[in-house]
Amino acid sequence: MINLSHVSKEYKLSGESFFALRDVSFEIKEKELLAILGPSGSGKSTVMHIIGLLDNPTEGTVKINGKDVSKYTDNELSLARNETIGFVFQQFNLINKLTILENILLPTIYTRHKLTFDPKTRAMELIAKFGLLGKERSFPNKISGGQQQRVAIARALIMNPKLVLADEPTGNLDTKTGNAILDLLEKLNKEDGVTVVIITHEPDVANRCKRKLYIRDGKLYTKSDYTV
Amino acid sequence: MNYILFIIKAAFEDFNRNKMKTFLTSLGITIGVSSVVLLIALGLGLKAYIQGQFDTFGTNNLYVIPGSLSGGFSGGPPTTQLFDDKDVSSLKRIPGIANTIPVYEKYMKVEGPVTTKTYQVTTSSEEIFSTLTIKIQYGTLYTKSDVAKGAKKIVLGPKAAEKLFGAASSAIGKNATINGSAYKVVGVFEAKGGGSFGGPSIDDAIYMPVTASLSFNPTKKYASIYLKVRDSSFITPVKKEATTVMSKRYKTDEFSVIEQTELIKTINSIFGVLNTVLIAIAAISLIVGGVGIMNIMYMSVVERIREIGIRRAIGATKKDILYQFMAEAVLLSGLGGLTGLLFSWIVILFLQTLFPAYIDAPTIAIAIGVSSAVGIIFGVAPAKKAADLSPMEAIRYE
Ligand SMILES: Nc1ncnc2c1ncn2[C@@H]1O[C@H](COP(=O)(O)OP(=O)(O)O)[C@@H](O)[C@H]1O
Ligand SMILES: [Mg+2]
Repeated sequence: MINLSHVSKEYKLSGESFFALRDVSFEIKEKELLAILGPSGSGKSTVMHIIGLLDNPTEGTVKINGKDVSKYTDNELSLARNETIGFVFQQFNLINKLTILENILLPTIYTRHKLTFDPKTRAMELIAKFGLLGKERSFPNKISGGQQQRVAIARALIMNPKLVLADEPTGNLDTKTGNAILDLLEKLNKEDGVTVVIITHEPDVANRCKRKLYIRDGKLYTKSDYTV
Repeated sequence: MNYILFIIKAAFEDFNRNKMKTFLTSLGITIGVSSVVLLIALGLGLKAYIQGQFDTFGTNNLYVIPGSLSGGFSGGPPTTQLFDDKDVSSLKRIPGIANTIPVYEKYMKVEGPVTTKTYQVTTSSEEIFSTLTIKIQYGTLYTKSDVAKGAKKIVLGPKAAEKLFGAASSAIGKNATINGSAYKVVGVFEAKGGGSFGGPSIDDAIYMPVTASLSFNPTKKYASIYLKVRDSSFITPVKKEATTVMSKRYKTDEFSVIEQTELIKTINSIFGVLNTVLIAIAAISLIVGGVGIMNIMYMSVVERIREIGIRRAIGATKKDILYQFMAEAVLLSGLGGLTGLLFSWIVILFLQTLFPAYIDAPTIAIAIGVSSAVGIIFGVAPAKKAADLSPMEAIRYE
């Protein structure tokens, strides 16, 4: 569904050029559970921002269902993020002044098509499904990290996206809570057929995924040619 | 619809969280709008007041005054005493004129048994009473024969009578001293209202026969001559004829024959210019208020870069972010405007006990419109900055 070919990302820092990504090519297939594993600073987040249409590569092309996104307008990019991609971040990235329910509903505010579901009903379903009942009027800083991450996942799912991008989703959680979050993402992939990309620096986390890609110093490897 | 409500609700929740900041930010607009609205209200009140003053004079009046109105009183100050009895008698001969009333006014110290105060003393003929539709309440008005004899009699407005003699009813038959001579109060007329802030009211007027004023108007000159015409159809021909008569003795820029409406228009236009200048000065404070809003909005954008990044990640377009921040700026200034409007309305309620100040629908519309416009003008740059942030940079922002 998403295809990166010869993607590079170059930053110019005080005249010196630095490549956060170098000639990265790979494909994300529909309904797969993919892990991108790499040490800190290797370019994982950079690649996720590019897949997630939050950033443009300096070279190479990104295609969604065969369409080159470099020609997309801001409206089209926003629409694609809104309808087909759900983000889960290490820092949860909830808006603290909005309630749990309002956070989960936020993507439905920005939709430009008529929704095929009732936002509130769907939000309450997700809240129930993720064990957050009774918290819908709470604010993010009043609930635990595990609960916050579940709110973030609920927000990522409310628009029924085809793809969920999780950047270090367990990075701020203890192992047990982290595992529960990973179970949830796994289930999402298996039962609901959502494509899930998990980005992590922990091999244990990556090992839960069928397919793994490795990244170091901005270069992407498949298992065979990657050496730690 | 849902979206607009959401944006407005979000803005209000933000204001609620930062009440002090919101108050201080919108204070500039509150002050600006208050001062503009109050000045407009005073201007409107002044206009109403002037109209009211003239209404008490009755209608179908023409005024012969020194100077040229079109040239902006170029013929000399309007208080110049130019005219005399010769003019009065030649004007009297014009057909269609009911009364010809010479008027000489002077501020004089008037000594009564209770107080001594300076009043504008109007010296004229007995015809002034019918021209100004003055009705007697106590005593009598001075008569034609009083004028002929130069009788030292005066007729007081009720306010002046009360001030000088303690009560309007007790003034009759008593004397007041003006310029060293005793004048007998023969009458006190009915209150007509008008006048405030110490401004002249007809109820403060003192009338005496023009012939009794020789001690302070020895040459018997008049500042103006009122012409009361028989009915409104005579106004135009009498005006024309009076102009012809007067031009035999005076140059055309030395005198004017004007209608009441022209006089009101001229006075209004003078005050109108003054009022506009004051309003323009007050409007500067709106710009200062707008800059304050811009400043706070820039700070707000920086504080909320991460939030902007999150919103962009879940599908907000540049426009969505632009509108969100614009809405906040406009609501901030609109709120300031409404507070200013409310504040000035309360002040105007108090003012109304002294002066007919008021605000009308256009003023309210202007206040709301201008304050919203200030929000748009000064909110657009910070909102544009927020909208143009790169989603990636915003979401990475620590
Ligand atoms: N906006 C930026 N400007 C300059 N350098 C950046 C920027 N974003 C990321 N980098 C650099 O790119 C490299 C990869 O970053 P990132 O993708 O965040 O790594 P990871 O998520 O794997 O830790 C890092 O060295 C980082 O410092
Ligand atoms: Mg990272």
